[in-house]
Amino acid sequence: MGLRIQPAVIGCALRPVIAARDRSLEEMIYDTAQQALRDAGITIDDIDGIVVASNDQFDGRSISVMMASGPVGGVDRDIMSTPSASEHAFIMGALRVASGQFRTQLVVSWSPTEVSSMADAQRLGTDPYFHRGLPLDELSAHALQASALEHAVPGARQAAEAVAAKNREHGRLAWPDPPLHPAAGPLRWPLTPAMTAAPVSGAVALVLACPEFVAEGGLRDVAWLRGMGWATEPGFLGDRDLSTAPALAAAVRQAYETAGISNPAADFDLAEVTDATPYTELLAWEALGLCPREAWLADSIDGRFARGGRVPVNLSGGVLTWNPVFCTGLMRIGELANQIRGKAGAHQQANARCGVAHAGSGFALQYQAAVILSREPRQ
Amino acid sequence: MELLERQEVWNITYHHALGETASEFYTRIRDEGAIYGRRSAGSGRVLVPPRSFSDETLLPTTEWVKVGPGGQIEAFTIVYERFNNLPDPPYAFGYVLLDGADTALGGYFKGIDLTDPQAAADKLKVGTRVTTTFAADRKGEMLDFWFELTQ
Amino acid sequence: MSSDRVGIIGIGQSEFRSRRDDASYPELVREAVAPAMSDAGLDFDAVQAVVYSLSPDAMVGIGNAERLGVDAVGGRNKPFLRINNGGATGISSVIAAYYHVASGMFDVVLTAGADKVGECGDSQTVLNKIWDPSYERPLPLGTINMLAMSAVRYMNFYGMTEEDMARVTVKNRRHASLNPKAHLRKPVTIDDVMASRTISWPIKLLDCCPQSTGGAAMVLASERFIRDNHLDAVWITGVGHAAETYWMGDRMGNNPTAEHAGAHALRRSFERSYRMAGITDPERQVHVAELYAPFSNTEFHCIDAARLVAKPGDSIARLRDGEFELGGRLPVNPSGGTLCTNAIAVTAMARVAEVALQVWGRAGAHQAQGARLGIASGNGGDHQIFGTVVIEA
Repeated sequence: MGLRIQPAVIGCALRPVIAARDRSLEEMIYDTAQQALRDAGITIDDIDGIVVASNDQFDGRSISVMMASGPVGGVDRDIMSTPSASEHAFIMGALRVASGQFRTQLVVSWSPTEVSSMADAQRLGTDPYFHRGLPLDELSAHALQASALEHAVPGARQAAEAVAAKNREHGRLAWPDPPLHPAAGPLRWPLTPAMTAAPVSGAVALVLACPEFVAEGGLRDVAWLRGMGWATEPGFLGDRDLSTAPALAAAVRQAYETAGISNPAADFDLAEVTDATPYTELLAWEALGLCPREAWLADSIDGRFARGGRVPVNLSGGVLTWNPVFCTGLMRIGELANQIRGKAGAHQQANARCGVAHAGSGFALQYQAAVILSREPRQ
Repeated sequence: MELLERQEVWNITYHHALGETASEFYTRIRDEGAIYGRRSAGSGRVLVPPRSFSDETLLPTTEWVKVGPGGQIEAFTIVYERFNNLPDPPYAFGYVLLDGADTALGGYFKGIDLTDPQAAADKLKVGTRVTTTFAADRKGEMLDFWFELTQ
Repeated sequence: MSSDRVGIIGIGQSEFRSRRDDASYPELVREAVAPAMSDAGLDFDAVQAVVYSLSPDAMVGIGNAERLGVDAVGGRNKPFLRINNGGATGISSVIAAYYHVASGMFDVVLTAGADKVGECGDSQTVLNKIWDPSYERPLPLGTINMLAMSAVRYMNFYGMTEEDMARVTVKNRRHASLNPKAHLRKPVTIDDVMASRTISWPIKLLDCCPQSTGGAAMVLASERFIRDNHLDAVWITGVGHAAETYWMGDRMGNNPTAEHAGAHALRRSFERSYRMAGITDPERQVHVAELYAPFSNTEFHCIDAARLVAKPGDSIARLRDGEFELGGRLPVNPSGGTLCTNAIAVTAMARVAEVALQVWGRAGAHQAQGARLGIASGNGGDHQIFGTVVIEA
């Protein structure tokens, strides 16, 4: 079943790295929301609903929506919060526009690095019944998945190294001041420093609108939501086969059905995937129907998923370039939206008409989502 | 059947950037012993504590405005219950509309006998005049000041 | 009316208690989900998406604790997301589930959650940390004293007394004695309330909600699915949220838009859901109300904000006259309300569940006779974000 009304992304503010410390978190959120409104060419008065997403433990506030509601224009507006994942804010916003009860939605997510230890904050996500005593932060969970894949797929490590190099190269081209990644850093075998990026502060905001709003405003640079799907894995890592991603497969299936995608390599001009590690990108290649695991090694070195290739993946440089932990999922959707809108700047893909964003969050990407955006509205 | 328990304590440290506006507010408390608010662009309202933008208009605030030290009580309560990680009771605190401000600032009320709740509540009722008192030795934080009844 | 409506087809609630040492958090969720599913007459395969209801992680002691509830809600490989709007979370989750169906994408959606507030030794510490670190965190703010200050201002404007507050507790405890799911069920008298110890003046122990443990769940479905499967349902005809300023001091002082004595954003939220439901005269059109009021004094400004009385402050005299009790003209909180049961993550969902049961005629001993249209509300943050729904038979 599809959405009754087709939402479009009409504005974006992508801030995958905010290094300065001269603004408080609330001011940073304000700046991001204002930037997205300007990009959409509207004011807050045009917004009739808001969805935000952040992690209370990263923010250091027990109910992060509270103080964030002011900066995003929540006073006297309809505001909700989906702290499970940043991409869930996009999904909720899209459902609200599709219901016909909202003409627009402002969707905002952020991820500060004010906590003294991200790892400690993340470890609070493990259950106290069985797992709290283990050194299980998100990096450890990614490492467990990486080791499962290395065991299951011959050549996975080489493919992963090639993917990491590809994304870092994309990142150098995409950003005027690309990061200098440390040669050494926190390690969890089998992950190397080349396969992860240190957490940075970041924020992202998108503006969604219904077709009527787009038509009334004569808006041209928009990206239409062609389809979306999302799903979750079970909570305990031990209940999952980490060499697979069934929730991602389910999310993609739902998105492709609603969008009418049958040949992804032909239907998509590009993709933005959540490369928390290059292994999660490989899993995304497979689930998106772009590359089965038997071909990971070959396809990772033949350039088809690199800039200039058939379906470039992560022209933004991905999470391996900038890692604003909590909002990386929504950031992928935003990056794709800007590509479709022709607003991706230095890393713009020529003639990007349709693409897919893969957003994943949580321990070994427990939450998975796929969002398909297109230059053309549906008929 | 023996039911077991596990104790867990959340112990995490944060370093929150205050931004320029809050930093200036605290610096002036520390160095000057005075409270300042910010004027909202659209309405002209003086917001205390100060912010760099108004959440009603979303416009930046425009200038610093000194407020107080006198003011009136807008709301108060007196706490008699002990809560972990909060001060020992009894204590009174609430919100004061300082002279020159349009919004109220939170702080402790000191120097009042709190043994009899009703008698204390009568002394603190809404509209009562108070004065801001500053600590001799200030660090640049909210606890550098409190309110006392104006005699 | 086109077949566009969203209905409630199943409801489940725990019997709420202080502690449940026999059940883990996911088990509590399952306890509410199982009866909701059997109430709906569906098995888990029929559920197409899940909205998970969970407010502060710190209360449960697990970051993103919804992940541990995935199996309890049959969520593996299904669309699943979590809502947190503070205390309003439960009603916001129902509203989020509503949008899932109203979007056209899903026919059957489950919303569920649980809380173990009694297990968190420091709920006021956690609730102190909802305030901003820039200015207000050093103050001993907590939800109790925040609403004590609201009481002080309401007394100042409308002459509410501590006895008036006690009347709310007396009414709600009597209601709770008729509700097997409620936590605090022992009736009390005005004298009992007045004699209970002061927590934060003027709020006394018996003016406060308990810390409850338990779960709640609801199954929503599209009208088409309900019709095609010949299911019984009640209808969600109005939904809405509104928020007011986070800054409590801005709700005082000179000409505040939102007054801390009242519940401005609750009024605005009801305006939205009333408009959607076509309600123009709530005082006459609403038959029953479950209004989120964790402290006795706050029930008054909720009644005012829901426009069940002509002007703010009128609620005091009319409650004294018996209008809002079971047997009265317009029962408010016939379940006992939040004052008698507060498992934060689902308290606001329980408000919706109770109103649904009322208009469905299934509320048993605490049934408001003849109720066909009811309203529910939830409050979140520092009394800042409000969700409301209208439910009809």
